Amino acid sequence: MSSAVITGVGVVSAFGFGARVFFDALADGRSAVGPIRSFDAATFPTRVAGEVPVQAIRAALLAERLGDLAAPGALERWEGDGMLRDRKLAFGLIAAAEAWRAAACGAAEREASLSLALGLEQAFLEDFEPFFRVDRGSPNAAPAASAEVDWAAEPGAALPRVRLRSPVDLCAQVTSKLLRLEGPSFVHTSACAAGGLAVAHAAALIDRGAASIVLCGGADSMVNPFGIGGMSRLNAPSPRNEPDACRPFDRRRDGLVIGEGAAAFVVEHEARARARGARPLARVLGWGSTQDAYRATAPRPDGSAACAAMKRALERARLAPEAIGYINAHGTGTPLNDPAEVKAIRGALGRHAEAVAVSSIKGAVGHLMAASGAIEIAACLLPFEHDLLPGTAHHRERDPECDLDILGERPRRATVEAVLSNSFGFGGQNVSVVLGRCAS
Amino acid sequence: MKLIVGRERARGRVGVVGAGAVSAFGFGWRGLGEAVAAGRPGFAPSRELAASHPGTPASEVPPIPDAEDAGDARQRKLMSRPARLAAIGARKALVDAGWREATRAGRGAAASASAPSPIGYFLGVGASGASMTEVTALLRASFDDRGFSVARCGEHGLNACNPLFPFQILNNFTLCHGAILEGLGGPNAAFYSRGAGTVTALLEAAYSILEGDCEQALAGGADSALHPVTFCELRRGGHLQGGLVPGEGAGLLALARIPAGASITSSAEPGAPPAPLAMLEACALESAGSRGLQGAYDAAVASIPGEAVDVVILAPWGDAPRRALHDRASVSFPAARLIDMSAALGDALAASPALAWITALDLLVARAARRVLVLSAGIDGDLGAVVLAGVGSGPEGSAPVHALEGSS
Repeated sequence: MSSAVITGVGVVSAFGFGARVFFDALADGRSAVGPIRSFDAATFPTRVAGEVPVQAIRAALLAERLGDLAAPGALERWEGDGMLRDRKLAFGLIAAAEAWRAAACGAAEREASLSLALGLEQAFLEDFEPFFRVDRGSPNAAPAASAEVDWAAEPGAALPRVRLRSPVDLCAQVTSKLLRLEGPSFVHTSACAAGGLAVAHAAALIDRGAASIVLCGGADSMVNPFGIGGMSRLNAPSPRNEPDACRPFDRRRDGLVIGEGAAAFVVEHEARARARGARPLARVLGWGSTQDAYRATAPRPDGSAACAAMKRALERARLAPEAIGYINAHGTGTPLNDPAEVKAIRGALGRHAEAVAVSSIKGAVGHLMAASGAIEIAACLLPFEHDLLPGTAHHRERDPECDLDILGERPRRATVEAVLSNSFGFGGQNVSVVLGRCAS
Repeated sequence: MKLIVGRERARGRVGVVGAGAVSAFGFGWRGLGEAVAAGRPGFAPSRELAASHPGTPASEVPPIPDAEDAGDARQRKLMSRPARLAAIGARKALVDAGWREATRAGRGAAASASAPSPIGYFLGVGASGASMTEVTALLRASFDDRGFSVARCGEHGLNACNPLFPFQILNNFTLCHGAILEGLGGPNAAFYSRGAGTVTALLEAAYSILEGDCEQALAGGADSALHPVTFCELRRGGHLQGGLVPGEGAGLLALARIPAGASITSSAEPGAPPAPLAMLEACALESAGSRGLQGAYDAAVASIPGEAVDVVILAPWGDAPRRALHDRASVSFPAARLIDMSAALGDALAASPALAWITALDLLVARAARRVLVLSAGIDGDLGAVVLAGVGSGPEGSAPVHALEGSS
């Protein structure tokens, strides 16, 4: 059994800032998906998202959230350098700071390593303007069809630090610096599986003796023109621009809703946590990862690779399927993912699949992409902290293809000892993580 | 953090049983050690940068022959250049290890929907390398006379590019395309790498083998600095002015568990796994943190006996770490030959550490070295140290090497 326990959590979600806000909303069975406000999406095919309720990230917002963690003037410099345009940087930092404080970490914990799941670079399309020869003479004129990028036109001086695109690991760099972490940084870029992998990696580092404390989790935002536009081109989001656009496991499901935010955890060796008086919220019991190796554009329909990830997670946790009381499903609400996941759950849990409660929070907060596994592991703390299983927002009509005990919109009161969280990424990367209740 | 394989013997050891490399020197790894050790530069004006930054000297992969290429034309439209290089490298590593016949890809198209093989796959990857043709099409349709228009982007820009274009952008697809094409279904992860992240990929692959997640795994890195946006970033960061020659490539090691007590020099017994080409003896990743790169170096190499290493390959990202590591390594390993990989292969970012391991492998197999230390470092300050050791006799007829017994 793993010695890794979670002692602190921080969350930024469409419900707002803070783990408490997130847990309360899940306990109330609320949903936070709504019209995109951070940019004008009127001409985009996708116009709703699980968007963090802040229009533009400014230094003042970070100052309010980070308090004395930030050095004087640093946040203003970041804003001037264009760094805050990448929303996930702020979300990741704020969640990390909350987890760090919640776990009562101090100078002695700065030996921590960092294992963070981050989404792809945010592209700043407006920064390409100097490279294009634009006919400014006539109204509504676009560049000539033959126009090419003139790379020689890049201004030679006074360029902001972050330009054209943000570095993938920018959030990890600033988090490590802000909290003055001494351990190595690991940046997981395994798309929607990255968050689960980052937490699993943290537990693995603890069990191997390679670290005694790890700050881990994920942050992502694709709520920007390039992110929303790119996903729309793939026809992944629901075509309905309604607050209930994502309806996991529902017969009428027709696509996902893009979300944004972050979740961070302090994971440490149980003996270390107990010695310093930190309260373990849950134990990371086991994990397993596999690859569909099927198609770039679709999950393996029989769910066999996802099933193998779940089985390996149970094996590592040394648990029988019957020990699992709740599954937080990947549950994207797409026509192909949900039935494949149901098959995978049946394969992994056998007859117990009929008895286990299953839900997805993606209808409530959207699909946080690289951070989805992390925020869903945060949701898995609700059963241990409050004896509540999160519901499945907008799941109203049962689908014969998804005939498990899918929780409806309201949470269910239950006491469970172990839960399983699934994350299945674009490109076929799968990870399952098992968490267990800690003795108080 | 360290993996000292000698300390993990109860669970077996990790051997290198094959490799795949794509670099400026071509499609393969035999001879890479000789070329790099000779400091023979593979630099020429870049074709990839010809339209954006003409005349830029680079360490660039030669034009890809059909026989070497990954996937078909339709599949390649979904690939960034690093993904394409990684897929080629993965296939070559599988072939080299003798594993490809057992993979789905090796069994042909009829098996394409069948279960994948349980081989693990861990990769250090870099920034997105999407085709600028697609980006340009999107941008061109998104500008009006006042500049970039979000409204035009939604209305016209999105429809101007290939709908599957996002698959070129997602960083994890540098790993996933190869996994899909080759049917690699085992444990896997992609790590963003400024150098050290690729060492994490090797560490995780080795641990996956030792912890029983898989028996075999590919580990390495793939990247290209020959993308116009990446090139702009390197210039803006002062790296080009500091002498960095942009490079690209992919390097994959095929790793297998060598059971405790098994011979590493012979595979005479029927059914025995192939003898390894080299052994992974140590793999360490240390953070500079407040102690700086030199402190990280000291921690990483503390358990590596200096007299046992006869070659040190320097493969950091950027000029300043390279000079710092050169100075430290020449003191720690006074008898060792120091090889600067960038002098031959430039800086291939996430691919550099992996190409350095394969350079080391070639030197070991050619009996030009007995034990090679590869040092990697990123501009984020983390440092990786990997020790590969030859099997069988060394250049001076020495006895087979043994796993290091170190401490963490």
